Amino acid sequence: MAILEVINLHKTYGKVQALKGVSFSVPKGAVFGILGPNGSGKTTMLGIISDILMATQGSYTLFDEPPAANHRSQIGTFLETPNFYHYLSAIKNLEIAAAIKQRGANDIERVLQIVNLTQRKNSKFSTYSLGMKQRLAIASCLLGNPDVLILDEPTNGLDPVGIAEIRELIKKLRSEGKTIIMASHMLDEVEKVCTHVAILKKGELVVTGDVNEILAHEDIVEVGADNLAQLKQAATQLKGFSSSKENGNLLQFFYPLGTANLARLNQHFFNNGVVLNHLTVKKKSLESKFFELTN
Amino acid sequence: MNLQTNITVVQLLKIEWLKLKSYSAFIVISLFFMVGILASNYIVFSFKKNVVDKADPIGLVSSSSPYDFDFVWQTCSYVSGWLLLLPGLVLIMLVTNEFTFRTHRQNIIDGWSRQQFINVKIAMAIIVALAATLMVIVTALLFGFASGTSFAVTNFESVGFFFLKALTYNMIALLIGVLVRKTGFAIGLFFVYLWFENFISTLLEVASYKLKENYQFDAGNLGDYLPMNAADGLLRIPKTTLGDLAKKAVAMPHDYMYIGLALSICYLAIFFYWSKNRVQTTDL
Repeated sequence: MAILEVINLHKTYGKVQALKGVSFSVPKGAVFGILGPNGSGKTTMLGIISDILMATQGSYTLFDEPPAANHRSQIGTFLETPNFYHYLSAIKNLEIAAAIKQRGANDIERVLQIVNLTQRKNSKFSTYSLGMKQRLAIASCLLGNPDVLILDEPTNGLDPVGIAEIRELIKKLRSEGKTIIMASHMLDEVEKVCTHVAILKKGELVVTGDVNEILAHEDIVEVGADNLAQLKQAATQLKGFSSSKENGNLLQFFYPLGTANLARLNQHFFNNGVVLNHLTVKKKSLESKFFELTN
Repeated sequence: MNLQTNITVVQLLKIEWLKLKSYSAFIVISLFFMVGILASNYIVFSFKKNVVDKADPIGLVSSSSPYDFDFVWQTCSYVSGWLLLLPGLVLIMLVTNEFTFRTHRQNIIDGWSRQQFINVKIAMAIIVALAATLMVIVTALLFGFASGTSFAVTNFESVGFFFLKALTYNMIALLIGVLVRKTGFAIGLFFVYLWFENFISTLLEVASYKLKENYQFDAGNLGDYLPMNAADGLLRIPKTTLGDLAKKAVAMPHDYMYIGLALSICYLAIFFYWSKNRVQTTDL
């Protein structure tokens, strides 16, 4: 079953095309990361799914059905900013949210406990710090223990401890079999918690699929020798790497993460009569992968 | 798309009440309105009793008080009608607060349909108008009995007109709130609109006079057909002598009362439709 299916979604704001025909599908039980730089259309897309923005073209389904208000009450959604009544306390705000969702009215203490706001539950929302507001928004999503959550930049404005807590929370929810759709521009965040990813760039879908396939790390081994031709000749008998390329006077070999063995490599070239004058391993960063995908 | 959460009107209104009951501006304006109705009627009441009656002790000019039964419904409705900007302010804040706090989005994200969101606001415009009307009824009873006359329901239709006027003001306020979204700007526009309608009305009065002179076309002041004026025109100073002493009311000729009534209802229909359409078809 697809929890969410997005079909050829377009959105224009005047002359700006925020989404240019995005399609993807979120399977049940996935932690689905929507990754992209600022302005790539992540929030616009989640806004359309939440019916606060109107799609210019295209459609989407929720739970394999045409979208409706009663689907939204089954999904805990936190979009862009924590939206609460400033003059009301956390408890009263959550009472309103629970009444609208028609679920979770007796769940308020539990969700406040999860996000560590129990002590400030009677303070007005306007007195909260940015991080506390963020945590209250996540608490509101958890009301009624929904099976699906949509989180837009959930760790925005949180301190390192808060970020780690949210990450643990998401992992825990994942282990409970919940489906989580999460937008982020934080790569490590997506990499650490997501099972699937869709990468957006300027309103277009660059790639979507399993996170390990798309954001896979590689070891890059660079070798150099005085005689490049001899080096290349010796390299033809080398095994174990996934790809290679020439980079100036150096050769680069790409290995699956953790499989490059420099000693064995050195031995191989030496046995083939080539003495290396350069041998290093470079970790390909997630950032460079991200730039590669979005540039 | 219109499949809605199974939520009753009562539940919707309860949620709206949760939002309002702790909102201090709402409480302050409501108190102002209630005290204002009592005070303004008391001023007129005591003016008649202490000034007019003393100048004319044997009742040559005025044998009856505007606060005697029969007249009291009309007088209270007319006098209280001047205070209807206050419930309008409540409606503006009720709507623009949602936009300010972006809770209009959250309400829909959490499972209301757009239709439910605007319907409950319209319901609040009706409820606030009903509450104001109830206040007028209580005040009328109070002053009616205070003037020592016996209960009568003659002229009670004025109270109905008051309700229509209150609803018109509330719906104009709601529409402005939905259209401009910013609290300060919406309140400003509400007052500017009020002034603007009177200004246009004055211009139309001149035009109406020329129409009458040059083309024998007489439909009264065309300005009286504008939304607020149409509703205002339904409420007039009672035809007691005090009414004649007061400045001539800016109102439609009596013949046009039914037109005014029909117009007010038409305008209300337009305001209902326009505000619903706005919320249901735009990005929030």
